[in-house]
Amino acid sequence: MLRRHPWIIPASFLILPLLVYFTFVIVPTLNSLYYSFTDWVGYGADFDFVGTANFEKIFTDRLFSNAIKNTAIWLALAMTAPTLLGLALALALQGKRAINTIYKSLFYLPICLSPIIIGIIWVWLYSPKLGIVNIFLRGIGLDQLATAWLANPNTALFAVFVAWAWQQTGLNMVIFLAGLTSVPTPLVEAAKVDGANYWQTLFKVIIPMLRPATVVVLALTAISALKSFEIIWVMTMGGPFNKSDTLAVFMYSESFRKFKMGYGSSAAVVLFVLTLVIIVLYFRFAAAAEELYD
Amino acid sequence: MMNRRLILAILVLLVAAFTVTPAFTQDDLMGDFTVSHYFGGFGGEFIDGIVDDFIEANPGLMHAASPVDHEQFKTSILVQLAGGNPPDTFSYWAGARIQFIVDDGLLQPIDDVWEANDMDSQFPGAVIDTAATYDMHRYAVPLTLHWVGMFYNTALFEQVGAMVPTTWDELVDVAEKFKMADIPAFALGSINRWPGQFWFDMILLRTAGNDYRNQLMSGEASYTDPEVVRAFGLWKELVDAGYFYPDANAYDWDEAANQVANGEAAMTLMGTWIGGLYAGNDMAPGEDFDYFSFPTIDEDTPRASLGPIDTFVVSADAANPDAAKAFLVYLTNPDVQWAFAEGAGNLAPSLLVDTSNYNNVVARIAAEIAADPVFAFNYDLATPPPVAEVGLNSFSEFMANPGDYEAMLERVQADAAAEFAGME
Repeated sequence: MLRRHPWIIPASFLILPLLVYFTFVIVPTLNSLYYSFTDWVGYGADFDFVGTANFEKIFTDRLFSNAIKNTAIWLALAMTAPTLLGLALALALQGKRAINTIYKSLFYLPICLSPIIIGIIWVWLYSPKLGIVNIFLRGIGLDQLATAWLANPNTALFAVFVAWAWQQTGLNMVIFLAGLTSVPTPLVEAAKVDGANYWQTLFKVIIPMLRPATVVVLALTAISALKSFEIIWVMTMGGPFNKSDTLAVFMYSESFRKFKMGYGSSAAVVLFVLTLVIIVLYFRFAAAAEELYD
Repeated sequence: MMNRRLILAILVLLVAAFTVTPAFTQDDLMGDFTVSHYFGGFGGEFIDGIVDDFIEANPGLMHAASPVDHEQFKTSILVQLAGGNPPDTFSYWAGARIQFIVDDGLLQPIDDVWEANDMDSQFPGAVIDTAATYDMHRYAVPLTLHWVGMFYNTALFEQVGAMVPTTWDELVDVAEKFKMADIPAFALGSINRWPGQFWFDMILLRTAGNDYRNQLMSGEASYTDPEVVRAFGLWKELVDAGYFYPDANAYDWDEAANQVANGEAAMTLMGTWIGGLYAGNDMAPGEDFDYFSFPTIDEDTPRASLGPIDTFVVSADAANPDAAKAFLVYLTNPDVQWAFAEGAGNLAPSLLVDTSNYNNVVARIAAEIAADPVFAFNYDLATPPPVAEVGLNSFSEFMANPGDYEAMLERVQADAAAEFAGME
């Protein structure tokens, strides 16, 4: 039988992980979809089907629009700052010098920490009076820039983003470092022989060759950005007054603070669709990149 | 400092241990018994000790207490209730929050044990009406009563020659004195939003009164009404004048309390639980810190006290309702109520507690509550949770952008109306 159906053994190994995946990913996802068409409050057995009412309401909800705007800002920043910083660090730290290994470890360290820990650390750094950020600014004579970073409605979202990017940059650096090892040395040498300077080599040879790594970085960053929740919740809980609300925070607030699980589930569905679009784009670009360099 | 707290906790637990009386011992109580609560620190140790004593007196019971973080509890208990596997009994905030889960049939009435133990004679009528009774049935046994007032640094008041204000104008004069001395008059730590509600609550209670406030809390009045606009306008006068410690939304309530303790600010509008914090800092009530009731604004408006009441309730799906109800009866023991009040620095709701043991600050507060015709719950316990979310955000927004408050109130009204409509 095994000879006729050789797939049975590998398939049997997949049963357990598939069962776990089905139970903890597929079922809750379908549950969210189901509840998004109800007015369930999140507890108790009573609820009614409300059709598409939650989705009709959500697109006229001021707080949802605010969360979409903040998510867009967060996503735009996420796609640029940690990506460029990760690339710059990878370029600066490539090579086998011992000091580079130390720096790589240091920059990678934040990725090993929980977002909760990162959030708590940065809350202290941003403390209005005793935080090192304001102490530093005052120390160099920039008192007028010192502010309550997480309480100021104009800075809260960006202040949380910096903490998130601090963690994300290390991961991007590692992916770019891996990508750099696949850039053929003869190609770089040939460019130099042909008289290309550093910047020409970088933009005409290295960065184009890093396209597969860049696609991975951008896709992972986008997905990570869209589902950012813990660090925002720990640092501001979406505040002050919703100024750092993202879609994930909005979803949680509606579900668990306002006890509108049905409505919160409709936000979860919107977030799921957005993430799905990014994943589809990722696979398309990844496939295109593979074709290009195969 | 730690030693004092430890000794205090041990003493209270010993007092509690000796309060176990045969009245709470029932031979027929058997099986598992689960208790969940949101008290941390002293309160958590105390409740756990109380549960242990209760179990010791009822050897047929096996118990599991499960303390949860105060903020986290608001969500986790509802998840437990939704899952159909709730604790037999749990602590909960009296007012709109209990009403919210009573409406969904998640609690069971305790009329039988209430009557059997004549609890009507043990608690003040106002507390029974507001904290224990929902839809004409008794559901909750009050354990602690807190009161919101202005707590101040006595040394700073002496330093600037300020007298305790009894009217709004006097309050502004005192704040101005502190401003002249380069000391912020008011500390507010609203990073978690709720401390800001006390300012709105007190100004509205002192101007529009409790009846109007009740209408606003139930959705019958509007946030764009002149009463609300005026309350925010008065609050704005204080913010615009620079009387508040800067960046209120950057600090938590205990940081604001410590700003007062450290002399960085003169006073803070807070609940009596601040006494527990100050006791931990070795501050003597009536000497190092004192309090005054929020000043009168409109003389014609009846006075009202404000604060939360912590209660214990019984889950509708309790696996062991008999044990849960017996535990609630145990909590009415005046010795238990007194021990908890003494340790936490708050007031005991029970009329049977000997109030002569209160420290001079709490004793005077008890007299204020007795004199006020109304005891109102603070904003997030007076209005349904979805609406409270809208309001709490607005108080934070107001502290950051007080200039736009009338436009903000229009948004608040639209959002609150939508939330009330969604609950129908």
